[in-house]
Amino acid sequence: MNVNRLAWRNIWRRKRRTLITAFSIGFGVMLSVTFTGSGDYTYTKMIDMGASMGMGHVTVQPPGYNLKPTLDKRLRGADGLRQRIVALDGVSDAAVRITGQAMFASARKSVGGGFIAVDPAFERPDNNLLLKSLVEGSMFDDKGGRGIVIGSKLAQKLQVKIGKKVVYTTTDAHGEIVSDIARVTGIFTTGIDMVDGIMALLPIASVQKALNYQKDEATLIAVIIRDQRYAEAMRHRIAALPEAAGTDVLTWKKAQPDLAGVIAFDKAGNYISQFLVGLLIAVGILNTMLMSVLERTREFGVMMAVGMSPQALFRLVMVESFWLAIVGLLLGIIITAPWFYFLYNTGIDFSGAFGTDFSYGGVLVDPVFKARLFKESAMAILGGVFMLALLAGVYPAWRAGRIPPVESLKTI
Amino acid sequence: MAGRPDTAGGKPEDDLMEVSMASVKQIVRMQHVVKTYRQGKVDVHAVNDVSLDIEAGDFAVLCGPSGSGKTSILNLIGGLDVPSSGSIRVDDVDLATLDNTALSAVRKNRIGFVFQAYNLIPVMTAFENAEFVLNLQGMSEAEARERVMATLKAVGLEGLEHRRPDEMSGGQQQRVAIARAIVTNPAIVLADEPTANVDSHTAEALLDMMQHLNREHGITFLFSTHDQHVIDRARRIISLHDGKIESDEARP
Repeated sequence: MNVNRLAWRNIWRRKRRTLITAFSIGFGVMLSVTFTGSGDYTYTKMIDMGASMGMGHVTVQPPGYNLKPTLDKRLRGADGLRQRIVALDGVSDAAVRITGQAMFASARKSVGGGFIAVDPAFERPDNNLLLKSLVEGSMFDDKGGRGIVIGSKLAQKLQVKIGKKVVYTTTDAHGEIVSDIARVTGIFTTGIDMVDGIMALLPIASVQKALNYQKDEATLIAVIIRDQRYAEAMRHRIAALPEAAGTDVLTWKKAQPDLAGVIAFDKAGNYISQFLVGLLIAVGILNTMLMSVLERTREFGVMMAVGMSPQALFRLVMVESFWLAIVGLLLGIIITAPWFYFLYNTGIDFSGAFGTDFSYGGVLVDPVFKARLFKESAMAILGGVFMLALLAGVYPAWRAGRIPPVESLKTI
Repeated sequence: MAGRPDTAGGKPEDDLMEVSMASVKQIVRMQHVVKTYRQGKVDVHAVNDVSLDIEAGDFAVLCGPSGSGKTSILNLIGGLDVPSSGSIRVDDVDLATLDNTALSAVRKNRIGFVFQAYNLIPVMTAFENAEFVLNLQGMSEAEARERVMATLKAVGLEGLEHRRPDEMSGGQQQRVAIARAIVTNPAIVLADEPTANVDSHTAEALLDMMQHLNREHGITFLFSTHDQHVIDRARRIISLHDGKIESDEARP
């Protein structure tokens, strides 16, 4: 009888104990999938939303702009670089933008805020949250008109409606104060007070003119990619373009450090939870394997007496751990599949508790608790739990091989 | 049965029928062996300066009261325990020079064990229990099967190959244990009180079988026992007292 078959039979000597341990492994898989799956879903949503708020997953900008965003820093040849970037595989969209601070004034009020100057021809709801969140009016056209789309709370503060005039004042490329006038064409409500209360979209052509920028000058190119996980790889590819020489190419982590910090902090908490779950599983397996070894001490003595080496005994107990891990993982997949299906398709709606405009890290968080699982996350969970189960078997296996046969045979 | 597994080339039946011709060969040589255990603050000499030779074809018993050192000597010869001093050679191999892995190899290839409590592996059938040692030796499945079937037949277990230990009587289990001990053609079978857990009728039957294996196939047996039935059958009786050999008598 080979060692695999013997180990398989051994783990079923005490069916109930094996099943309880296997279920604890399976339950660990379920918890791990829930934690990781919600992270994969939520972080992706947050990152994608953060990207659509102006900076993209990858941002190309003048050197040092993220540290000190003044309008004297500008990208030259932005349109040409944008075209090169859009042609890269994996890029969903790229938009040339000018971002800055401005004072908005209506006939009745003045309010400080920020603007994103965009070319409406390249803006779509998918890559621009403000555009996606239009609740009144429409985006200004790309025919050189002087429109403005503003946040609903900013509109309230300025006491303006669609069609009303707003004057914005900012500092140009030479440090001079400049002003221009725009007519409100649309109002957005993202649900994020900070955004709705201060932000506005302006046509890039009129802003370039007002700021004394050339036609292909801007402060950034926001690059939206198909999968946020590859932002770092995309950053390298963009930075390698000859047209990108002399620019800073940043991923969202650098461009939006607050969001990156919030996600990193949340991930750390997630890892700690998973570590504790893993520890509990490992202790369960260790206990099972140790019990299993201790109650077979005499049998191991007999096996050594008939010629089994300590190494072979170690291997036998490790293979038993292997089978236990396999059974546990299979059970885990069986009990996790329907739960994950529910989380993937339906999720748990917490909007009653948190409302629908709960923001975290400067972005809106979906109040419906859902899960997605990246392939690498699934592999990490299965591999991690499997390795954990094997590791938990090492000490009992080592112990089995260390018991002197003469002592083992004395055991009743 | 005299050939070692690594040199045996004939059919198992031939092996079983083969009578050892090297009857004068020393299978075991113990010289001035001492085994001391520490019990609390007291040193106990379980084996005290024992020198003993076991020759091929012996059917010998170690007898004596409890604590006289019978099992300790078997454990030392079997490489399950190491002596405090002295030397032990089994089938021309000096056990003192071997590490745990090499000792395992000696047990696997040269020594068969039979225990008082059978000590079969409960998840294995009779066939698998006997086959287990051959698997450890790395023998091919077909060869192992042939040899196990022949051995089970030799110990009277034909037809019971697929029974697990809990489906067999004590006598049948001990026969499986004997089959497991002899299936590798060991140099010596060490049997520790092999009849202690069976009734006298079964004990007689087991002894008949082992005596037959000894006479017909030349298998060397060394028993430790209290059982007068075993002592009566032995051709050599080694009496122990307080870890020392008190007498060593050969009988025709």
